[in-house]
Amino acid sequence: MGGMSIELSELRDAAQKAFPADHLAPPRDTAWGAMAKMGWLMLPLSEDAGGLGLGRAALATIHAEMGRMLSRAPLVPALGVLRALESGEALADRSQWLERLATGEYIAASLDFTDASPGTLRAVPDADMASHVLVTGPGLVALAPTADATLVETRLWDDTRRLFDVTPGASLTVVARGAGAEAITARLREDLMLGIAADALGGAGAVLAMTVDYLRTRRQFERPLAMFQALKHRCADLKTQIEAAEALLLARAVEGARAQDIGAMKALACETFRFTAEEAIQLHGGIGLTQEHACHRFMKRAELNCWLAGSADALNEAAGRAELAG
Amino acid sequence: MSDDTDLARLRSELRAWLAENAPRGWRAVSNHAAFAEAQRGWFLKLLEGGYAIPHWPAPWPGGGRTLAEQRVIYEELARADTPRLLLSFVSTYHAAATLMECASDAQRARYLPAILKGEFWCQGFSEPGAGSDLAALKCKAVRETRSGGDVYVVSGQKIWSTMAQYADRCLLLVRTASDGPKQAGITFLLMDMKARGVTVRPIEQIQGDEEFCEIFLDEVEVPVADRVGEEGAGWAVAQATLASERGLTLMELSYRMRGALWRVSDLIQAQGKAEDVAVLRAFGALIGRVDSACALADRYLDRRMAGEERVGDASLVKLTYSRVLREYARLGVSIGGLAEQLRAPITFGDLNTGNWMADYMNSYAWTIAGGSDEVQRNIIAERMLEMPREPKGWVA
Ligand SMILES: Cc1cc2nc3c(=O)[nH]c(=O)nc-3n(C[C@H](O)[C@H](O)[C@H](O)COP(=O)(O)OP(=O)(O)OC[C@H]3O[C@@H](n4cnc5c(N)ncnc54)[C@H](O)[C@@H]3O)c2cc1C
Repeated sequence: MGGMSIELSELRDAAQKAFPADHLAPPRDTAWGAMAKMGWLMLPLSEDAGGLGLGRAALATIHAEMGRMLSRAPLVPALGVLRALESGEALADRSQWLERLATGEYIAASLDFTDASPGTLRAVPDADMASHVLVTGPGLVALAPTADATLVETRLWDDTRRLFDVTPGASLTVVARGAGAEAITARLREDLMLGIAADALGGAGAVLAMTVDYLRTRRQFERPLAMFQALKHRCADLKTQIEAAEALLLARAVEGARAQDIGAMKALACETFRFTAEEAIQLHGGIGLTQEHACHRFMKRAELNCWLAGSADALNEAAGRAELAG
Repeated sequence: MSDDTDLARLRSELRAWLAENAPRGWRAVSNHAAFAEAQRGWFLKLLEGGYAIPHWPAPWPGGGRTLAEQRVIYEELARADTPRLLLSFVSTYHAAATLMECASDAQRARYLPAILKGEFWCQGFSEPGAGSDLAALKCKAVRETRSGGDVYVVSGQKIWSTMAQYADRCLLLVRTASDGPKQAGITFLLMDMKARGVTVRPIEQIQGDEEFCEIFLDEVEVPVADRVGEEGAGWAVAQATLASERGLTLMELSYRMRGALWRVSDLIQAQGKAEDVAVLRAFGALIGRVDSACALADRYLDRRMAGEERVGDASLVKLTYSRVLREYARLGVSIGGLAEQLRAPITFGDLNTGNWMADYMNSYAWTIAGGSDEVQRNIIAERMLEMPREPKGWVA
């Protein structure tokens, strides 16, 4: 992403070394193990709590790298939940919980912001490997064990993700109540929006790079396709949109950014990925339509990202309302 | 922490200063002569306050501001709805950058103080036959010794020169040699617009303004002392001039557009569309785009200051701003509906006026001037994405 601090570029380099770009969507469980080993599961944990104390800019950097290589591991919800539990005033044995999460235990959270079906959490990533799911409600944040919940896996076009509908059972461990719970819920949503947005822009950068490479090597009419201005200009527009959205992601990846501003950024980032992937398939020609080529995996992930952690319609409407009110 | 307090202090000082000094009623100005006077007055007032040239280096009055301070100044000037310094744009950006980076000490000593006295400058680069292909320019200069001393005698035509009718001086590109590569025969001159043989003809524009002009040059004598750089080295000097147009100006303009989003809010309220979901969504999407233009301009300047600017970075910023400006105006036109098709008096010199059809037409200034969007796309594709150039040597 460039123009970043040394700390962030070291993080990015480490991520690229651990998960090279030519090995897309590595198996989830080995990747998860590697992430735990590298200390990523405690990245945002404060140093007092034994973590690395890295902020939102670091999270955006890591999530962008995971988007670039189509990661299957549920790092976005995992790190959001970690931050939620760290602030959970009502959570008994909090430090033990944090230690368990930092070393590989996974607690899931829903990426569905529509709250459409009461009693069931939709779009919960990788609930099959989760010990608990985080449940949020008015004035309450709690943990529900998956052991006594009903998990139903949904079938997705995106084969790099697994999402479940989860209906929790009766037993709950309280994390926070009242105003504390509201604050945790609000911040979790922001973290999830930032995470998905970063994932989207990592994916957009990767699929554009792949497309430009292809156009430079594929020859038709006795020249590289990349020489045709009609195609160059489309790539230049994509590059410009990605760079602008990345700049906004970094500007919003700070504590204290307003939810509506993070939301508008998330909408822009996901639309940028969606459009880049759409163009990538077109610019690859027939090969882009094959199962064997990676284009479609980026496209399907891009489409799914548009609906996780808030849709563009909902987020843009909220941003518009906030600006009108302010 | 102390940084933030300093910025907060600057902001409140500037607010207080603006409450006393911001011009009122400037939108109602309906002729250019009055506009030019008002612009000069506001420039001198800002200079006195220490806010006119925050991007100049430290010894100059109000210069040497950090980027963060400049940002605060531009935001506050926009928020207070003060006029943008259109007529000092070329003098304080293009001319200043050219003089500071490429001119002799004598030229700097003479012209920089004159700019701060309120001299207006214009840019005489484009010609009828040399637009995007600027290096094809033909305006001819021959070196001679005349009664006035060593001079270049210049003949030819310039076009699209913004506000040339009010300019005291012109950044002029001329051809001093026509053999060899076309860039190599170009020379950079500083021309007195009052000199004999200079004729300016304003051009009527689609929004009802006469912002740009043709300049006809008939044996105009320009002293050799007013040449910047060597003879034949004008192309490199022109690059310094053009580079100044990006970056800082685009940060200012992006933040001005951000500061003018209230115009969209007002329009939505006035049209009774505050509960129209489609309108709210479009507005939210625009906010994201405007904010991304600001963030990109910020990041560009941070990179530049850190010496990490990449080839093509400036093009990303310009292309983003120009497209977002179009989207901004377009949204206003569409929310306003039929009412926007009723012709209303225009405001000179501002891009975000709330006269949405006029703003829409004005937005072409940024998609065409200073290297069109298409030219920026070429640069991004060829220099950043390393996509190959087309073969040269086309013959009709
Ligand atoms: C509001 C405004 C203010 C201006 N102010 C000044 C000024 O103060 N001083 C000054 O010197 N000039 C000024 N200009 C001139 C400006 O720099 C030129 O208009 C610009 O460089 C484009 O040149 P042109 O108009 O001849 O268009 P052309 O170069 O003829 O271009 C016509 C179309 O073809 C496209 N095109 C051209 N070349 C290519 C290519 N290689 N690949 C793909 N597409 C291409 C262009 O993008 C455009 O869409 C101003 C222009 C405007 C609109």
